[in-house]
Amino acid sequence: MSNQLIQIETPFQFSEENQQEFDRLIQRYPVKEAAMLPTLHLAQKQAGYISPAVMEHVAELLELPVMKVKDVVTFYPMFFEEPVGKYVIRVCYTLPCALRDCKLVLEHIKQKFDIDVASETDLAKGTTPDGKFTLLKSECLASCDVAPVVMVNDDLYKNLTPEKMDEILDGLE
Amino acid sequence: MVQERRILYEHLDVPDINTFDVFRQYDGYKRFEKAIKEYQPDDICDMVTKSGLKGRGGAGFSTGLKWSFVPRDIEPRYLCCNADESEPGTFSNRYVLERNPHLLIEGILICCYAMGISTAYVYIRGEFTLGKRMLDAAIEEAYQQGYLGENIQGSGFDLDIYSHPGAGAYICGEETGLIESLEGKRGQPRVKPPFPAVEGLFHKPTVVQNVETLCNLPFLMGQGVEWYTSIGRTYGDTRFDPPQSDPNTGTKLYCISGDVNEPGVYELDLGLTAEELIEVAGGVKGERVKAVIPGGSSAPILTHYELECRLDFTSLTLWKSMLGSGGIIVMNETRNIVDCLLNIMKFYAHESCGQCTPCRWGTPWVRDIVQRIADGEGRQTTMQRPKFGIAEGGRWGDTGEMEEVYEDLDLLESVANNIANVDTMTWNTICVFGIAVSWPAVSYLRKFRPEFEAAIREGKLVTLPVEEATVPPEENYAYQQRIVPRLFEAPT
Ligand SMILES: Cc1cc2nc3c(=O)[nH]c(=O)nc-3n(C[C@H](O)[C@H](O)[C@H](O)COP(=O)(O)O)c2cc1C
Ligand code: SF4
Ligand code: FES
Repeated sequence: MSNQLIQIETPFQFSEENQQEFDRLIQRYPVKEAAMLPTLHLAQKQAGYISPAVMEHVAELLELPVMKVKDVVTFYPMFFEEPVGKYVIRVCYTLPCALRDCKLVLEHIKQKFDIDVASETDLAKGTTPDGKFTLLKSECLASCDVAPVVMVNDDLYKNLTPEKMDEILDGLE
Repeated sequence: MVQERRILYEHLDVPDINTFDVFRQYDGYKRFEKAIKEYQPDDICDMVTKSGLKGRGGAGFSTGLKWSFVPRDIEPRYLCCNADESEPGTFSNRYVLERNPHLLIEGILICCYAMGISTAYVYIRGEFTLGKRMLDAAIEEAYQQGYLGENIQGSGFDLDIYSHPGAGAYICGEETGLIESLEGKRGQPRVKPPFPAVEGLFHKPTVVQNVETLCNLPFLMGQGVEWYTSIGRTYGDTRFDPPQSDPNTGTKLYCISGDVNEPGVYELDLGLTAEELIEVAGGVKGERVKAVIPGGSSAPILTHYELECRLDFTSLTLWKSMLGSGGIIVMNETRNIVDCLLNIMKFYAHESCGQCTPCRWGTPWVRDIVQRIADGEGRQTTMQRPKFGIAEGGRWGDTGEMEEVYEDLDLLESVANNIANVDTMTWNTICVFGIAVSWPAVSYLRKFRPEFEAAIREGKLVTLPVEEATVPPEENYAYQQRIVPRLFEAPT
């Protein structure tokens, strides 16, 4: 199965702009491998997720075996190996947010989109059928003073209630 | 009431302080200039040692001492600034990065000048996208203004600073995990020794320092050791005070969250009591305090009997807890401690890096046992056994009474103590994540045992009134130390 996947997938290439960014990044470190995380972030921003083709390209750029890249991708929760929604919603679920009713917010989103919370091994169950949203639980986002907090892609939203969450999500294209 | 003393955070709210020009108006980079003009690198190391500055990232290790371990004859040396801030309950570094990034750059400059370092990496957790953007912009500006790059301000000192994003793994906050992660590998901590100071990033001597620690340096430089050591509370009125020989100097960015009226970051002199801090943060939300976590979720919990403890590095150790990252989480009388422990254990079970068997397996076991208790399926035996506690003569021993045996509670303590033993402080794991798991597990259980027992007995979570839920401190400390300390006798 996986062999087939690699064959049918279109190869991945950095866009010109990202290639320049990568060339800048790689100069920062005495060994190429050290550019792994920033490169993967860059690739994920372009491709949406880290597909086998992306891993191959990154491995080539960093002059490493693909396995090493895969090893890293599987370790870090911020890298996705499957397609995710256009908007990734991370609801903080650690103690300080839990003391401030993050549960209400999470349950509300679940109901609103009729989805479950995605897990690292099953992103599809937390993704809306139209591929717009993916719902994830997150660990402490270092904003416990304004709990409960939610991150939607790169933006942090504070002091949330189900109503405020609605407003934010409805405002997204 | 205790007054805030804003030093690191003094200019945080000044509009546009994140730009070079405004930062410059508030003495920005002048302290670094003073350092390179008036001091030799060794003098600065001396100053840092004399100041008594302790690392603010978690371990509270003396910064001067750490610097003294770095061999000066191996080139290159590196600085890793730890901006991974992922300890639950901690959020002070974020504000520095987002609002006053030049302050961090100045701190890094002073540190690197003192240590003869010419490359520094700032490891920022992946979720801090705004913080990273602000820092990158500030670094760019500093290059343009000639405060970074080659031959800075004509001094012959070179420095490059690069920001490096993490990707959501808590363990990358551990210093060797951070180094592995920076090298582009899985963030799995290394066996120590060798310590990073001797062999760290790319196998070269490396200083790992928290954002807040580095931000102290410009002020220490600008106003001197005497001024710095004058900050910090005087001792001598609570039950466990640190020895005068190990003063806790400077201010701390206390992050307070949970059940208080005004959660936030408060910069206060090190060594105020938990009670005072809660008062500064607008008092407890609800009727009364049930429990306080004093140093991020890894720290052993404090009960309402223990609120007079000083929140500094040495006192909290005497109280068998730790200041850690300075994240204080307050829980009021409506909170169920079993439920809180479950939340925390889910966090740790998710974040174990998986290298060591006791941690990889033990942490999910602890979570599962707590889950079982919370679900009302905790296991109890029909047996009874002699109850140990404060026996005759005030010593730890057989009290002559009998107690119920709760299988799951014994199991919980045993599993947790086999990851890392909190009584002997020994662990079978590579990094101290192990103790960060067993500390909360065991302390919650011992200090709030009635609530755990009630959950098993009743088959559901039961929130007991504060007094009933809490084990009196005498018993607790007696258990930990196997003797009743004289400290608990009424002061005469
Ligand atoms: C599991 C674990 C997580 C840690 N997380 C952080 C963190 O997020 N930020 C931090 O500054 N230090 C963290 N530390 C502490 C670091 O290992 C290290 O002691 C610290 O960065 C040293 O800097 P300092 O001396 O300036 O405090 C963590 C330690 C452990 C064991
Ligand atoms: S103690 Fe846990 S987190 Fe630390 S190295 Fe071992 S498995 Fe990893
Ligand atoms: S617990 Fe949610 S931000 Fe810290």
